[in-house]
Amino acid sequence: MQLKDNKHIGIGFRKDFSEELLASDILKPAFIELAPENWIGMGGYWKKQLDKAAEKYPITCHGLSLSIGSPDDLDLDFLHKIKKFIKQYNVQIYSEHLSYAKCDNAHLYDLLPIPFRKDAVKHIISRIKQVQDVLEMPLAIENVSYYTPVAAEMDEATFISEIVNGSGCNLLLDVNNVYVNSFNHKYNAKEFITKLPLDKVAYIHMAGHEQISDTVIIDTHGEAIIDPVFDLFEYTTVLLKPVPVLLERDFNIPELEELQGEITRMETIVSKTWKKEHAIA
Amino acid sequence: MPLLKEDTHAQQSKLAEYCKTGVKPDLIGVIQENLHHYRRLVFNIGIDTIETAYPITYRFLPDEIWDKLVYDFYAEHKCKTPQVWRMPMEFYEYCVEKDIQAKLGYRFLNDLLYFEWLEMEVHTMDDIAYPPIKTEGDWLNNILALNPEHKLVKFTYPVHMLAATELEGKAGDYFLLMYREKESGRVQCMDISILYAYILEQLQNGATLQEILTEADTLFQINNFEMLKEHALNFVNDLKQREFILGFLNT
Ligand SMILES: [Fe+2]
Repeated sequence: MQLKDNKHIGIGFRKDFSEELLASDILKPAFIELAPENWIGMGGYWKKQLDKAAEKYPITCHGLSLSIGSPDDLDLDFLHKIKKFIKQYNVQIYSEHLSYAKCDNAHLYDLLPIPFRKDAVKHIISRIKQVQDVLEMPLAIENVSYYTPVAAEMDEATFISEIVNGSGCNLLLDVNNVYVNSFNHKYNAKEFITKLPLDKVAYIHMAGHEQISDTVIIDTHGEAIIDPVFDLFEYTTVLLKPVPVLLERDFNIPELEELQGEITRMETIVSKTWKKEHAIA
Repeated sequence: MPLLKEDTHAQQSKLAEYCKTGVKPDLIGVIQENLHHYRRLVFNIGIDTIETAYPITYRFLPDEIWDKLVYDFYAEHKCKTPQVWRMPMEFYEYCVEKDIQAKLGYRFLNDLLYFEWLEMEVHTMDDIAYPPIKTEGDWLNNILALNPEHKLVKFTYPVHMLAATELEGKAGDYFLLMYREKESGRVQCMDISILYAYILEQLQNGATLQEILTEADTLFQINNFEMLKEHALNFVNDLKQREFILGFLNT
């Protein structure tokens, strides 16, 4: 993927700050990410904003409603709309959540945890293959935050790995989600990361979260990234080849200078770990 | 044979159903005290989306009635659109289908909801190609080119003119022209009379003003073509100033 100014860190394109992003250079993302669901079929003012953004930055897409883990059939109509959008905006990475957002023909617009089970693995592998066939490009699936397992028969790392390896898809590694889950489910985050198919990581997400009790963190995308997540990020980058990294900030948007501070901090980290690899290559 | 076992499907269905209704499910191997976060997160997204789309209705209806309405919608309705910003349209359709306005005794509710949805619809709807135009022509005998990004709707209550608290007892025939300005993308509203609504509708269909007014003169029993023409030309001129009428169709 061609990134702007040879940098690595992008930002989620949000309507709340789109005007400021486009009118100024306070934020210097290497690319922007958007949810195709929020833009497909939209005209008028927002379409103009999107087209301006597409002129200024490369775009990645991060879907919300494909519902790859759903028991329902895939919505092929919708998938074709996504394909058209991806082509129109020359999108190089399309990712989706390893969760389900639709069940028994009802959309819920949130990410529900899939039972970590063998039959679910097989079911999802076949769906990912179907998606990749239609899109004629690889899908990157994201490890999601979850607050309870449901009817699990294997651990999360095994579940993710079997799906990625069995389907040939890529992995979007959300470092914050690993941190959140390691806290909520009391496991070692670094160990968890080493169990994943790291050679398949094509994209990284970083975000803030909110700890709401002694035992629960909610993945809000509404706070600044905390130091332990930066540490886990640095640890992760050492294990990976260079890939695009996204700062996700959906709510409680601060001044853009503050977001740029987070971008710069991540850029500094990867310039240390990934420069070396470039030198070797 | 489906790859997903019935039992796994059932677990997924139960969790999803819980998010819709809030009725605690019997699920295998869950952290009971964390389950409620899913209901809360799903429901909050729904409430926020609907309240943002219908701010007037939300403020007008008493809290307990609004809360029950949103609760029932989420529990009973299966949202079909994969695009959450289009979901409020399903809320409107649900209210019409369940005849909520009759149940609540607010007979203007459907109109009010539709008016609020329409503003969003016109603001966000897909771009429509503008027709080819020429600036020189004859107002009466050439076909006029309209901004294609518009909706012309009829209401029984003047929801676009009066506060929700003043609508009771105001039933009648009301027409609203809503359109999107090309450059700014702003939505403009115009209350128009039944005669002007008729003229606009015929202009949309490609009739010339001369043809429309000849017809309207008898249809509305005006029987004064010159006066009608003067009024209509003023109306058309006003729409030209507002950049709703673009000029003359270049065929
Ligand atoms: Fe993420």
